[in-house]
Amino acid sequence: MSTERPSNLLKHPGQTSIPSLENISGFSLNVTDCTQVVVPEEVFFTVAAAGILENLLVLIAVIRNKNLHLPMYFFICSLAISDMLGSLYKTLENIFIILCKMGYLTRRGDFEKKLDDAMDSMFILSLLGSIFSLLAIAADRYITIFYALRYHNIMTLRRALVILAIIWTFCAGSSIAIALFSYEAATVIPFTILFPLMMFFILCLYVHMFLLARSHAKKIASLPTSTVHQRTNMKGAITLTIFLGVFLCCWAPFVLHILLARFCPHNPYCACYMSIFHVNGTLIMCNAIIDPMIFAFRSPELRSTFKKMFFCARSNWNW
Amino acid sequence: MSALRLISNRTSQQAMSNSDYTWEYEYYEYGPVSFEGLKAHKYSIVIGFWVGLAVFVIFMFFVLTLLTKTGAPHQDNAEPSEKRFRMNSFVADFGRPLESERVFSRQIAEESRSLFHFCINEVEHLDKAKQNQKGPGLETNIRFQEVPRSSGMLEEDLSCHTKFNIPNFVNTEQNSSLGEDDLLISEPPIILESKSVAQSSHRILD
Repeated sequence: MSTERPSNLLKHPGQTSIPSLENISGFSLNVTDCTQVVVPEEVFFTVAAAGILENLLVLIAVIRNKNLHLPMYFFICSLAISDMLGSLYKTLENIFIILCKMGYLTRRGDFEKKLDDAMDSMFILSLLGSIFSLLAIAADRYITIFYALRYHNIMTLRRALVILAIIWTFCAGSSIAIALFSYEAATVIPFTILFPLMMFFILCLYVHMFLLARSHAKKIASLPTSTVHQRTNMKGAITLTIFLGVFLCCWAPFVLHILLARFCPHNPYCACYMSIFHVNGTLIMCNAIIDPMIFAFRSPELRSTFKKMFFCARSNWNW
Repeated sequence: MSALRLISNRTSQQAMSNSDYTWEYEYYEYGPVSFEGLKAHKYSIVIGFWVGLAVFVIFMFFVLTLLTKTGAPHQDNAEPSEKRFRMNSFVADFGRPLESERVFSRQIAEESRSLFHFCINEVEHLDKAKQNQKGPGLETNIRFQEVPRSSGMLEEDLSCHTKFNIPNFVNTEQNSSLGEDDLLISEPPIILESKSVAQSSHRILD
């Protein structure tokens, strides 16, 4: 969502009273104001394009390889789709802004407003989709560990697709509702509470799995024939920290921005935080680039599918 | 009065529309904010937020690392036969492969699923393929060496093979239900003496 305009999620509800101040008092801001930190458009486009391409590759690889038609990969695909939507949103917004600057689109037109509302809901859809996809991936891994023998029956392909359909329907509905009713505090608060709640839940799932792995590793290590690899558990700790740290670092700044925009837009400290909004947006797009690396590309099967795709393309070019 | 308000509204709208979709526009949208008399640095929320986030992530990492070193309560909620399968691939993928015997029992291939490790998934594909009678379509396998496969996949099979080590636990089905720790262990005495296991592993890991 473009911050410069009173976009839905960021609009202060009492804004109608503010304009009267601007003209009458001739208020001029301090020299030490927090000016908007601008990210160059080239950087934006590059990051967004890289995110879209990478996630598109993941999708294509999963679709083309029949061996990857498993619930686990479908959840990873869902994550890739939501990341792609986020990057796509930013790209479209950039293009939109450039078109407005060049004068092809009017600024306060009805069509543009509706387009902007649609783009806002796409962004919220991307955020919610990311959260729920990560949750689905964590739950899938949890079931794999703790219900290993019954995993086949619990997580069939059909059930996974049904779960994904439910998740995306819920996200779509919520995103439209949030975009429409973003003025109320009742929308912002659940939205911001959902984020740490999901994070905490995912953390609990992974820590539980991790504890089991650790204690099992200890048992294995205690066998007389086995040699101990302490790196084993270090690597597990690193992996887990990366999973959750990346998600937290990329999405938390934006969520905090929404909170501050709703509750203290006139506070100078909050305004200074809100001036780095574009950096937060770039972080979200970086998340779209990093997520495939830590989820999809860890699978040897997926990597081999990529290699095959590239070699096929190269051999086609050689023709 | 109303005219004044109308003008102010129009001007503000103009201001807002000027702010529309331009990158350089400053963040005036929320009205004028006074920066006079700030007690702390103006970017204090930004700095505080990022420092807090970094501290939290590092704290989480240290907690997880500490869990590997000190003893933590184990999980005993699942059946032993379930736990038997799940940790191999989990540990194998979470870290370096453990140097233990590799035994691939039929039950593993039929019942277990790897957590992160997709070699086992491929074994499942093999089973599914057997049911669906599409054997040639499979790409890899672990235990059925006799199934013909493309040479390109051979290296991957071998790498899967080395990554995925299942300890020899087949014989301990009956025994693994005993003792405090139900995780798979090949020898019954180790299961029963869980405390000594923990101590020895503690010593070894340290």
